This record gives sequence, structure tokens and C-alpha cells, in this order.
Amino acid sequence: MRILLIEDDDMIADGLKAGLGQLGFVVDWFRDGKSGLAALSGAPFDAVILDLGLPGLDGMEVLAAWRRAGRSEPVLILTARDALPERLKGLDAGADDYLVKPFALAEVAARLRALIRRRHGQSGPLYQHGALSFDPVARRATLSGQPLELTARELALLELLLVSKGRVLTRELIEEKLYGWGQELDSNAVEVHVHHLRKKLGTAFIKTVRGIGYTLGGS
Amino acid sequence: MAVPSLRGRLMRMIMLVVPLVWLVATGLSGYAAWHEVNELYDNQQRLFARQLLYSTPAIARPVAPPGPGSDAVDGMALALWDAHGELMLHDGEGLNLSPHPGFSGFLTLEAEGKQWRVYYLSANARTVAVAMERKERWEVVRGLLAAQWLPWLLMVPVLLILLWRSVARGLAPLERVREELQHRTPDDPTPLSRAVPSELTPLIDGMNGLIARGAEMLSRERRFTADAAHELRTPLAALRVQAEVAQLSTTTQARQHALGQLTLGIDRATRLTEQLLALSRLDPLQTPAHLAPLRWQAIAARALEEARRVAAEHGIGVELQQSVPDAEVLPLSGDETLVGLLLRNLLDNAIRYSPDGATVTLVLAADHVAVRDTGPGISAEWLERVRERFFRPPGQSQPGSGLGLSIVERVAELHGLALQLENHPEGGLVARLVRA
Repeated sequence: MRILLIEDDDMIADGLKAGLGQLGFVVDWFRDGKSGLAALSGAPFDAVILDLGLPGLDGMEVLAAWRRAGRSEPVLILTARDALPERLKGLDAGADDYLVKPFALAEVAARLRALIRRRHGQSGPLYQHGALSFDPVARRATLSGQPLELTARELALLELLLVSKGRVLTRELIEEKLYGWGQELDSNAVEVHVHHLRKKLGTAFIKTVRGIGYTLGGS
Repeated sequence: MAVPSLRGRLMRMIMLVVPLVWLVATGLSGYAAWHEVNELYDNQQRLFARQLLYSTPAIARPVAPPGPGSDAVDGMALALWDAHGELMLHDGEGLNLSPHPGFSGFLTLEAEGKQWRVYYLSANARTVAVAMERKERWEVVRGLLAAQWLPWLLMVPVLLILLWRSVARGLAPLERVREELQHRTPDDPTPLSRAVPSELTPLIDGMNGLIARGAEMLSRERRFTADAAHELRTPLAALRVQAEVAQLSTTTQARQHALGQLTLGIDRATRLTEQLLALSRLDPLQTPAHLAPLRWQAIAARALEEARRVAAEHGIGVELQQSVPDAEVLPLSGDETLVGLLLRNLLDNAIRYSPDGATVTLVLAADHVAVRDTGPGISAEWLERVRERFFRPPGQSQPGSGLGLSIVERVAELHGLALQLENHPEGGLVARLVRA
């Protein structure tokens, strides 16, 4: 899951980036409102973490601009402003959730997962597909009850396929979802991950749509 | 020591003074009455003696005194003697008047424990004595005094009640003020009503001054606390997230990075806390706690020593530029610790925002003290705003609390100095302290 992080405090951003990375997210970080505002259209983000006290352009203005432009990505506001009117203002401006600093990393991750899940119309915490079950919190997948040994990228690809049930994902989109800006990737990285997943889950699990990309195979 | 109530004091004073005044007044009027009564009765005695002497026939026989039940006047006695000293007339009430032939005038006699005032008149070889018991006169005076006392005594309770009530009414505004004060919240800045007796207006004015100062201080502290709470959340959030990352990290490298960030974060939080404490101590001060002529040379030397340690890590040079002798550097009375804090903050800022290898200069001059750096300066847009508490211009790569200049300004203000910030035409920022 690819997350856009707009936060002006280097240390918090650094921690969120590293911590959320550990928890299976790919995080792109922008330090100020102006570049963050533009960044949303630069990649297929699954959710946004937005700080309010930003230099230049305030987080609230960034959010309002997105919503005016019809952007519907779930936005989690992260701020030191804890007064009720501030929280209400944020939610009313189109934010989907609100966390006050200091926060627990696990809570940020949980809220992001909930936001993403809801966006894909999924209400339960586990993703199911045929004999496969995926737990996005524990980042564990089982096939017919048997635990699977998957790498972080394979888990991310699996999660992506599961939440995009019924859609065909292009190679570019998968690349963008799996890798943040500035991350090195081989030209055939996606093919390699698909190949590994098929080996572990069965060839029919991922269907190749020739000329377009990949989609989840029939259960 | 408990100060007695005004009302009680007033009542006690009245209870003490009124009887005293009455006593003196009674004494004076008693004395006057006694004088008048004496004069009156003396005249009567004189008149009566004369009438008796001239109206009694010369050959009057001695007469027996009238028995009990006669119409004798109590407390009066009279006697008439002929030329031979023979008692001719006597109405004595048991008083034995002795003849004093040829004597005219008043005598005081004592008989059977009673005092008598006797008037003798001798004429035509006869002597007459008219005596009057002194007690009689006393009774008249007493009667007069009693007539005077009675209305006074009746009036005392009335007077006291009226006084009690009028004092209560006079003090009612105080009671109102008390109630107003009791029900008021400490941060209420509205002044007390000045609708009080004129004696109380200085008190009310004084209290209003205090209320205004208190409310201002409270609102300043509240703002400060709110800002501080807000500002403390960010470093705390950073600490927390980095600690969690360190726990989650699966590689040593990632853990080391998170732990390094954690240390930096603790340094940042420590510095912020120190700055907050410094500012919260400075805020309530009206004047510096210790006043002494400032020895800029010594203060600068200490601040420079500390600054050089930090600057050396970044290869930044710190110089002192002094254009006048020690004694002539911006003569000022102040607190060396606070001024040291001020200089350290200015030097710290200059070092922080100077590129590696740059030079920071502390200037000591006759009319100003300044710190100049060769950093990027501050864009005109933010030049005034950087004085605001917690304000940091956007795009800062250096950690900072946004409080350094607030501390500098506060110390400067306490010493009657003003902080001027300007970008040097050749680059860098000049922070100059001049007399306000």
C-alpha cells in the first residue's frame, strides 16, 4: 500500500517512513504543503497522512484543494492541534480520520489499513480468496490453513491483488504501488515477484491479461 | 495581628467617648448648677434674715419652737437673739445655733452629721441667723442634673442603633465589593465598580490595577502553556515513533538509525524544555533580579567560550570585535546571568544557521552589542515574524525551538534594550542590541 506523507518535522517523517515501511507500507514523504499538494496526482496513493501545521501552505488548505479537485483518497490528519474545534474543522474539511501527536505507530498503521479497507468496500480485517487468507495486520498469508513464507514485497503484491479484486493491474501501477519514489527497482522486478507468488500459491492464482497486466485468478 | 472591625472600633469608641463627654458635661453643668443654686439660696437666706430682723418687734418674747407636725420647713432653721444674747425666736430642727453678736455673713456649721450654711445678720443690737441644710441644695442640683440626664440616657440606645445602622449602610459598598471579589474567577479582567464611598476609591483603583495585571499575566501564561503544549507534542511524537521503529527494526542498520534519531530527538526535546523553562522564568519578571553594572567583557568571554565549543564541530570561527575599552562598552546595569543567556542564544542562532567554515562575530561597541553571522540571513518576509514565540521560518533543516529570539527579546526588554534584526548588505544576519 502506497502512502503519501506530508509532514514538516524531519524526525517524525523519518520515523513514520521507516516504521510504516516495516509494517508493509510504501511511504513517500513531502516536507511542505505546496509539493505535497501536487504529489497526490503523481502516483496511485492508497491513503494520505497529512500534518496540519505545514510551512507555506497549511494542511487544511491542501486538503480543501484536493477535495475541490475531486480527489477521494482517504486522508488521515496528524497534528499537534488537539482542540475539538480543530478536529471538527479537519473532519469537516474532508479528512477521513484524525490523530493527535504524539501517536503510536501501530495506531497510524491500523487507521491507514482501516481507511484503505473501507475504500475497497471490505469491512472484515482478513482478506479471503479461495483457500487463501491474508492478514494485513500480522502480514501473514495462509493457504488452506498452511502458513506461507512470503517476502515483504510478495506480501505487498498479494495485498494489492486482493484489494483490487476484479481489476486488471498494469505493471506500471504495481511498480508504483510497491516502490516509493527514489527506490531502485529492476526492470523485471514485477515479473519476478509474480513468478514467486505463483510458485507458492499455484499458477492459476494470478492471471496474466496479455498486453495489459495482471489480475487475481478465479477462486 | 487581627485588626478589629471598623464598626466595632467605632462603636467601642462611641461607647467610651460619649459617657466620658457626658461625665465632663455633667460635671461642668453640676458645678454651674451648684454655683447658681448656692447664689439663689444664699440670696434667699439673706433676704429672709433681713425680713426677719426688721419685721420682728423689738420686744418680742422668746417663743417655744413649734412641735412636730407643724408647717416647719425641712432643712431650714432660724434663730433670733436680742441685744443680750437672749434667744427670742427659734425654729431649730434640733440645730443649736449659737449667737454671734455683731457678726454678719455666712458660716458653715456641722451638727449631727449634717452640714448647714448659716447666714448671720446683726443690726439694731439684735442678731438673726438663718440656716439651711447643705443637703437641700445638693438635692436641688441633683434634681436639675437628673432632669438633664434622663433624656440623654433614653437617647443613648437610640443613638447607638442609629450609628450601628448608618455604619452598616456606610460599609455596604465594601460588602458588595467583597461579594464581587468572592464570586469572580481569577482570570476575569473586568474592573471592580468604582461606585463606592470616596474613601474606598484608592483601594478599588489599586485592586483594579492588580486585577488588570493579574489577568494579563494569566492570559499570557495561558497562551504560553497552550503554545508550549502544542510545541512539545511534536518532539514527543518524534521520540515515540522513533522508539517504535527501533523496536520494529529487523536489521541492525535500521535499528541503529532509529536509535540515533532517538538521541537527536531527546536532545531536541531537552533543548526545547530548557528554553521553555528559561522563558517561563523570564516572563513574570518586572525587572532583573540582580542589578549590577554589566561587565560585558567577562560575560562575552564566557558566552564565547561555550559558543566556540559548538562552533568548532562545524568548523565555524567565532570572533570578538571590540571597538572601545572595556569600561565604555554599552554601559548598563543588569543581571549578568540573564545577559549571558541572551548572548548565548544569539551566538547559538548564528552558529546554527551559518554554513560550515563561516565566521560569527560578537561586536562590543559603545552604543550597541551585536552578533553577526555570514549565513543566509532571513528573508524579509519572515524578518519580523521570527520574533514570535515558536515561529520558525519554513524550510528549516536545523532543529530549533523557535524560542531563542523570544528569550533574547525578553531579556533585552528587562534591561531596557531593543533587539534589531537586519540582513547585512554583504550577507548574513545582524542581531543588534541598542538602548530602547
